[in-house]
Amino acid sequence: MTDEKFTDINGKAISLSCQNHSPLCREFTVSSAKVSLRKIMVYTSVVWLCAYTLFYFTENTAVLSSGIIITLVGMMVHIHFIKVDHETLLIIGSLGVQMSSSYASGRESTTFIEINKIKDIVINEAIYMHSIIYYLSILIKDPNEPESVGSVVPLFQSSKPRLNCLVKVYKSCQEILAQS
Amino acid sequence: MGQRRRDVKAQIHTHQPCTYIPHTVNTPGEESVKHCICMVSDFFYPNMGGVESHIYQLSQCLIEKGHKVVIATHAYGRRKGVRYLTNGLKVYYLPLQVMYNQSTATTCFHSLPLLRCVFVRERVTIVHAHSSFSAMAHDALFHAKTMGLNTVFTDHSLFGFADVSSVLTNKLLTVSLCDTNHIICVSYTSKENTVLRAALDPEIVSVIPNAVDPTDFTPDPSRRDDSKITVVVVSRLVYRKGIDLLSGIIPELCTKHPDLCFLIGGEGPKRIVLEEVREKYQLHDRVRLLGALDHKDVRDVLVQGHIFLNTSLTEAFCMAIVEGASCGLQVVSTRVGGIPEVLPDELVTLCEPTVRSLCEGLETVIARQRAGQVPSPATIHQQVRTLYTWRNVAERTEKVYNRVCRRPTLSLSARLQRLQSHCGPVAGSLFSFFAVIDFLILLLLQWLWPSDLIDIAMDATGPHSTWKRHCDVKKKETQTHFQRSKHAFKP
Repeated sequence: MTDEKFTDINGKAISLSCQNHSPLCREFTVSSAKVSLRKIMVYTSVVWLCAYTLFYFTENTAVLSSGIIITLVGMMVHIHFIKVDHETLLIIGSLGVQMSSSYASGRESTTFIEINKIKDIVINEAIYMHSIIYYLSILIKDPNEPESVGSVVPLFQSSKPRLNCLVKVYKSCQEILAQS
Repeated sequence: MGQRRRDVKAQIHTHQPCTYIPHTVNTPGEESVKHCICMVSDFFYPNMGGVESHIYQLSQCLIEKGHKVVIATHAYGRRKGVRYLTNGLKVYYLPLQVMYNQSTATTCFHSLPLLRCVFVRERVTIVHAHSSFSAMAHDALFHAKTMGLNTVFTDHSLFGFADVSSVLTNKLLTVSLCDTNHIICVSYTSKENTVLRAALDPEIVSVIPNAVDPTDFTPDPSRRDDSKITVVVVSRLVYRKGIDLLSGIIPELCTKHPDLCFLIGGEGPKRIVLEEVREKYQLHDRVRLLGALDHKDVRDVLVQGHIFLNTSLTEAFCMAIVEGASCGLQVVSTRVGGIPEVLPDELVTLCEPTVRSLCEGLETVIARQRAGQVPSPATIHQQVRTLYTWRNVAERTEKVYNRVCRRPTLSLSARLQRLQSHCGPVAGSLFSFFAVIDFLILLLLQWLWPSDLIDIAMDATGPHSTWKRHCDVKKKETQTHFQRSKHAFKP
């Protein structure tokens, strides 16, 4: 098992760990930084300051309570649906690929794609926000025409590692796909 | 030279260390400098037209010469993102809003983040913008100058000076071109026009004509009907192309020569005029209107005729008459714009843009055709095929690039001075202000997304191409596959 430091497209540190379970089974985990306390404090203070300013003018206590509710609900939504701590790609030759992402709250979501549905794993380019990025994706065969690509499943969607990290994952995935 | 450019770069990247390494190291005396060129225009395939095919063919020939070429255009419908065309030509379809006539809306600034990303990740050294109708091309020139890259602009059209819209466009063109390193025009008439419109130094304007693919336009005399004489017209049926002249010519010549036919390809608002003429003089069997033609069908129409007629009222460089002559037709054209420069005198009959002059010209050619005094289509084709080739265009464009690379790019203060002195007090101050804002936005972007966070793209073309090996392998594969299949089919 190896653990390497990389950065994502915004320059934040992420780490990639590679686990070789067997020659035909490999697991890649991309972990990004945990929710920082400072960020939570900053957001909370901003919401509360706004609430207090409003309260100063309206003198309505409902403003304050809604400020508290917004902070709490916002934090819950953030850690439960948005902030992803780890993203794992488990590739097993002759069986398939499993992708799972675990959220900051501990919630996990997992999808599995059978090997006979997979056409290939490639690195592609896309326009994302105001930049052009590389991303890793699985090409899914079209059920009617096995030779053509039906759809594309992007990998590591929330951590968005940079090219050097993607190339490393890509190469070892291709090794396994070539064997099976 | 490399040092100088790095200096200019360093001035711009004061806040962030620059990771940019110039792609070309220009040592004096070395001829084969490889550039990294980004072609920018609003007009590219799937849109069809002269500018589009010009960009595509030029890029292919530059790739063949070992340069790296990428193209940036705006998204066409669902076609957005990054695509690869033949020989690894990479096209960026950027999601910018289209405003009018396939040209993007311009605010001078909003396209900066995406274009900067393209320029940085592809390590572009020369930005080559096409067509003065394209707002994206002007934006790209503006940003490229802010980023300290070399700029080249190709003008594909002629403009007037008199009406309000041309006065405005000419002013914008002046602003856009006053600090561009080099400008390319398609004919000497077009050069004169551009120099006057944009108040440029003629020294930095080159003339490189368009080209045709001679293998696409080959003669085929067996397709024509020699019992009558057919006049072919292929153009958009619009006012600029002189369709009103054509509607005057048709009845006059048809009454004089009973064996004369007209074959008209193209679509446009003036079609109704031709239909009226056909109706009025009962010429349904002798004037055929084919409607809109695909580019691939043009040759099939051309080879059916004896005479090619062009009635344009304004034209920077007429591709149509070269295509006509390449198919072995006798060409009759109006003497306007850059047309007299296009073909040698023995291949074209030039007339004034009036009905009488055009009729006279056509009648002399018809008489010659009847007497059999015209050269055979094959000889005309042989003469034309070497006149305009894309390889020649690419060679001359390469020389422009070499020259541009040897010149310094302007620093911000020099640019501001140039704008103030060339563009008048109002426009000069306004666009100096824009240039400063653009520079500040660039600094902000450098701070938010430093250049070293942008992944350098894998090259598909140029000296560091990763495709060549791949293609070689593929070629071998297909060869062996082919051999195998040959074996398999052996009886």
